Amino acid sequence: MRSSKWLSLICVLILTVGTIAACSSGSSNNQNDQSSKQSQQQNSTSNQAGNGQQAAPADEKPFHITLAVSQVDEIPPQDSEIQLAIQEYTNTTLDIQWIPGSAYADKINVMIAADEMPMAMRVTYTPAIISSIQSGLFWEIGPYLDQFPNLSAQNPQYYENIKVDGKLYGIPQYRDIGRAALIFRKDWLEKLGMNVPKTVDEYYNVARAMVSDDPDGDGQNNTYGFLLHKNFFSGSAAASTRLAVSLGAPNKWAVDENGKFTPEFEHPVHLEVLKMFRKLYQEGAINQDFAAVDESEVLKIFDASRAGLRVAVAQNAGSMQSRVLQTDPNAVFDVEPLTGPMGIRVSGELGNNGFFVFPKSKVKTEEDLLKILTFFDKLLDEDMNTLQRRGILNKHYEETADGKHKWLDFDLFQREVKPYRDMLLNMEGYKILPLQDTPIAEKAQKIAEDNTKYTVPNPALTLTSPTYSERGGELDQLMTDAMIKFVMGNIDEAGYQAEIQKWRSMGGDKIIQEYEAEYAKMGK
Amino acid sequence: MKTDTLRQETPLAVRRKRGLMRDLIRDKYLYLMLLPGIIYFIVFKYIPMFGLVMAFQDYKPFLGFIESPWVGFKHFERFFSEPQFFMLFRNTALLALYSLIFYFPLPILLALMLNEVRNEFYKRTIQTMVYVPHFVSWVVVVGIFYLLFTTEGGLVNEFLYWLTGSKISFLLAPEWFRPMIIFQQIWKEVGWGTIIFLAALAGVDPQLYEAARIDGANRWRQIWHITLPAIRSTIVILLILRLGNFLDTGFEQIFLMLTPTNREVGDVFDTYVYVKGLTQLQYSYSAAVGMFKSVVGLILVVGANWLAKKFGEEGIY
Amino acid sequence: MVQDKTLSNRIVDYINYFLLLVFGLAAVLPFVYVIAVSFTDPVEVAKGGIILFPKKFSLAAYEYIFSTNVLLRSLGVSIYITVVGTIINLVFTSLMAYPLAKTYLRGRQLILMGVLFTMLFSGGLIPTYFVVKAVGLTNTLWSLMIPSAISGFNLIVLKNFFQSIPEGLEDSAKIDGCNDFGVLLRIVIPLSMPAMATFALFYAVGHWNTFFSAIIYINDNKLWPVQVLLREVVIMAQSRIGDTEMDEAMIQPLTIRMAVIVFATLPILLVYPFLQKHFAKGVLLGSVKG
Repeated sequence: MRSSKWLSLICVLILTVGTIAACSSGSSNNQNDQSSKQSQQQNSTSNQAGNGQQAAPADEKPFHITLAVSQVDEIPPQDSEIQLAIQEYTNTTLDIQWIPGSAYADKINVMIAADEMPMAMRVTYTPAIISSIQSGLFWEIGPYLDQFPNLSAQNPQYYENIKVDGKLYGIPQYRDIGRAALIFRKDWLEKLGMNVPKTVDEYYNVARAMVSDDPDGDGQNNTYGFLLHKNFFSGSAAASTRLAVSLGAPNKWAVDENGKFTPEFEHPVHLEVLKMFRKLYQEGAINQDFAAVDESEVLKIFDASRAGLRVAVAQNAGSMQSRVLQTDPNAVFDVEPLTGPMGIRVSGELGNNGFFVFPKSKVKTEEDLLKILTFFDKLLDEDMNTLQRRGILNKHYEETADGKHKWLDFDLFQREVKPYRDMLLNMEGYKILPLQDTPIAEKAQKIAEDNTKYTVPNPALTLTSPTYSERGGELDQLMTDAMIKFVMGNIDEAGYQAEIQKWRSMGGDKIIQEYEAEYAKMGK
Repeated sequence: MKTDTLRQETPLAVRRKRGLMRDLIRDKYLYLMLLPGIIYFIVFKYIPMFGLVMAFQDYKPFLGFIESPWVGFKHFERFFSEPQFFMLFRNTALLALYSLIFYFPLPILLALMLNEVRNEFYKRTIQTMVYVPHFVSWVVVVGIFYLLFTTEGGLVNEFLYWLTGSKISFLLAPEWFRPMIIFQQIWKEVGWGTIIFLAALAGVDPQLYEAARIDGANRWRQIWHITLPAIRSTIVILLILRLGNFLDTGFEQIFLMLTPTNREVGDVFDTYVYVKGLTQLQYSYSAAVGMFKSVVGLILVVGANWLAKKFGEEGIY
Repeated sequence: MVQDKTLSNRIVDYINYFLLLVFGLAAVLPFVYVIAVSFTDPVEVAKGGIILFPKKFSLAAYEYIFSTNVLLRSLGVSIYITVVGTIINLVFTSLMAYPLAKTYLRGRQLILMGVLFTMLFSGGLIPTYFVVKAVGLTNTLWSLMIPSAISGFNLIVLKNFFQSIPEGLEDSAKIDGCNDFGVLLRIVIPLSMPAMATFALFYAVGHWNTFFSAIIYINDNKLWPVQVLLREVVIMAQSRIGDTEMDEAMIQPLTIRMAVIVFATLPILLVYPFLQKHFAKGVLLGSVKG
C-alpha cells in the first residue's frame, strides 16, 4: 500500500514536468524555421524573366515577406513549384499563412489584438477593420501608388471602393465590378418562342411560361423560371438589386444632384420587381418555401435541368452549363448582359474579395513598404499574371496556334495553382493571353469585362454612418424580411410601406442624414 | 485515520477549536490532489476573466483592454431599452422553458426503458443507434428537416396531403417554429443524454432487484423504489446545472431555422447579437449580453441549489 | 433485472422493445441518408430526392478526400490529441473530483462555488488567448489539451458519482494502510468505471471535434486536426450572408460533403462500443457485505 503513495506522487510530478517540458520544446517558432530554410534554398542571383521585365539587381538579397490570406481548398506547401517561381521572379522569400474561413474573422481579430500580424494581411471591408484602419494601424499607400505601373493601370474604381475617409490603405484582390449577368436556358426560350427579357413585364411572361408551358417538352409541370432563396434579397450583391438595377433602379442608394439620398426600395422600379415576384408567387410559379431555402439547394434544381432563369455572376454560366450536361445532355444555357429599358445597366459591386493591408508594426520603414508594393506590382507582370491564372506552361496549360491559352490539366490547376490565383494579385484580361474555353464561358468572361462600361455605382459604399455601424444589421434585416413577406403575400403593399416607415424611424432617416453630410464633405 | 462518524458526533464549536491546521494536515493528500486542478482553474479560467471588463468598454482589438474607452453601463442600457428586448426575452425564455419541460425528462425516460431491456445485444444496438444524431451537425439536420417538411414534395406534407387533403407550412409558420425546434432538439440529443443516466444505473446492485422481486414487488414498484432513487441525485445535479445555462439557446440551430415569417417568435438573444455584430464591432455588446445571461443563470443556480439542499439533496456545493 | 414471466410483464417488454426500435430507426435513418449519398455516384445525386441506398455505387467522394496525404496526417493529429487529451482530462478531473467528494474537507464549498462560477462567466476568446500565449502553449498541440483540461460540468457530476461510493469501502482500505491516493486509485476509480467511461467518451468527442481552437492557437497547418480541414470543405458549400459572393466552382458536390461528414463522425462512433462493457451492471456486486 505504501508504494501507491509514491506512485501517485510520481504521476503528478511527471505530468507537471512533462507539461512544462513539452511547452517549451514545442513552441519553436515555425515561421522562423521556414524562412531560414527558404533563404538557404533561394539563390541570391535571381534569374531574369525571359521577356525582359525588370527584376531586382542580381546581387540584392531576396526580401522576406510574411502574408496571411484566407484558405482556399487544400493548402499548398511553402516550396510548391508555383511559390518558388514567384519568389524567384520577384526576388523575395514568402511565408504564407493560410487561415481557414471557418474562423477567419476571429483569427484576424486575435492577431490584431495580440500584435501577431504579418507584413501583408488580407482583410475584408468590415466595420471592425475600418475602425482599425482609422486608428492608424496600417500604412496609407495612396500617395505611393503612381510609382507602380501595373497597380496604377487598374481601374480607379477598385481603389475607390476600399478607401476609408477618402484615403487608400490597401491593395484589393481584384474582382469584376460588374459581375452580374442573366444566365438562362436558351433551348427553353427557343421552344417557347420568346426573347431574352428586358422589361419587368417580359421577365414576368418568360418566368411564367417556363413554369406552365412545359419548356422541356416532357409533358410534366415540373419546371421553374425564377427560383428564389432566403438570401435573394440580402447583401450588397443581392440578386434582387442586380435585377432591379438593370431595369432602372439605383444600386442600393440613389443620390440626386442636390446630394439627397434615397434607398433603393423607395424607387418605383424596385417595387415593380417585387410586385412581379409577388404575382409569380401567388400563381405558384415560384418555389413556395423559398424563405427557408439556402441558395445551394436552389442550385441543385438548375443542375437537374429544371429551372431556367438566374441572375448571377457571369462566369458561373460555364460551370452551370457543364453541371447540367451531366443530367441532361441536351440542355443549353446562355448568358447575356442584364439589359433594361435604358440599355445595359449593371450594379457596380465591391470589386474585390478582400484587400491587403500593411501593419505599421511589422512593416517598419517606408523602404520596406515600397518593397512590398513592388512585390505586388510585379505579380501583375505578364509572367506572374499568367503563372497565377494559368499555371505552368505545358503542365497546366498550353498555347494554341491562334495565341490563346488552353487547359491541359484543369484539375491539377485547381489543386496546385488556384489558391495562389484566388489570394494573390492578378487580373484576367490584363497582360495575359485570353483563355480558350467553352463558348459560353468565353462569352461570360467577355461580358464581365465589358460590363465595366455600364456599371452603376453605389454612392454610399465608402461613406461611414455611425447609425449604420450601430444598427445597420437589424435595419437591413428588417427590410429584407419586409421584401420577402411582401413577395409571399404575408403583407400587402400598405403593410410593406409601413415597414419602410418603420425602417426610417428606427434609424433609416438618421442614416440618410449621415450619408448626405458625408457626401457633402467629400465635395462631390 | 478517524472515520466520519466521529466527526459527526463532535459539536461544531469543538471541531473548530481543534483547528484549521489540524484538518489541513490530516487532509494533506487531498489538498495535494486538488492542487493541479486549482492551478488549472486559476490560470485558464480566472486570469482571463479580466476580459469581462469588455462589457463595460468600447473594446477594440487593436486598442487592447487598457486603452479601450470605458463606457460603464452604456451597453446594458442600450440592450434593455431595445424595442425588441421584451420579444427576445420572451422567445429565449419560452424556448428554454419548453426545452426544460419537454426535452429534459426524455433522456431519463429513455434510460429507464433501455434499463429494462434484458438482451444485452439489443440494448447496445439501440443505444448506439440513438446516439448517432448527436454527431450530425445542425446544418445537416436542418437540411434534412427541410427535405422532410417542405410543402413542395416533402415526405411529411405529401403524407398529410394524402391523408387530409391539405398541407402545413411547417418551415415558415410562426406557430410551428417552437415545436419544430424542440422536436429537433429531442431527436438530436435525447440519445446522447441517456449516457449519464445509464452510467448511474450501472452502479445499482442487481441484488436489490432480486430482493424486491422476492418480496413481491412488481416491475413498476421496483422502478419506483430502486431505479429512480438511484438516479435521483444525478437528475438533481443535471437540473441545477441546466438552469445555469437557462438563457443559452442553440445558436446554430435557431439561426438556420429562422425565416422572415417566424422571426417574431424565433429571434433569441444569441441570433440578435449575431446580426448586430455583422455591422458593429460585436465584442463589447455581445459581452454585455453574455454577462446578462450569466447573471440570470447564476441567480437560478444559486436558488435551485438552495432548494435542493432544503430537500436533503446533494447540491453542487 | 429479471422479472417474473407474467403476461403483463411480457406485454410491457414487447411494447418497450418496439418503442425503442422505432426511436432507434428514427434516429439513425437520416444518417443512413448521409452515408448513402456519400457512396452514390454524383450524377445520380444531382437529380435530387432522398436516397437511402446508393442507386449507383461510387467511391468518387472518398477517393477525392483521400487523394491528399494531408488528410491522413491530420487524422494522426486528431487521434493523438484525442487519446492524450482524454488521458489528461481524466487524470486532472478525477484527481480534483475525489477530494471534493469528501464533505468534511475544509474549503470544499468555496472551491465548488469557484468552479461553478467559471462555468457561468468567462473572459472570452482574446483574454484566454493571451494567457495561453503567456504560458507558451501557442502553436503547439498542448494548446488544444491543457486549456481544456477540466470541464466544470464533468467535474461536478463526477464528484457526485464519487459521493455515492459507500464510505465503508474507503474506510476499510484506509485501515489496511492506504492513503487518499491509494483509495482513489485502487477503490474509487475501479468502482466508478461507468462514470469514468462516460466522461472519457465526453472528453474524447470534444477533442475529436476540435477545430476552432486549432485555428486560433495553431498557425502551423501541419498540426491541424482533421476537423479543420473537413470543415473547410463543408463550409465552402454554405451560402453566407454578407457581401462577398463565393466562386461557385468552389461548391463541392453533395456527395463530397456527405463523405466528409461520415469520415468525421464514424471513428468516434466506433469508440463507444468499446466503452460499453464498462456500463455493465453490478460493478458493486459483492463488494459490500452487510
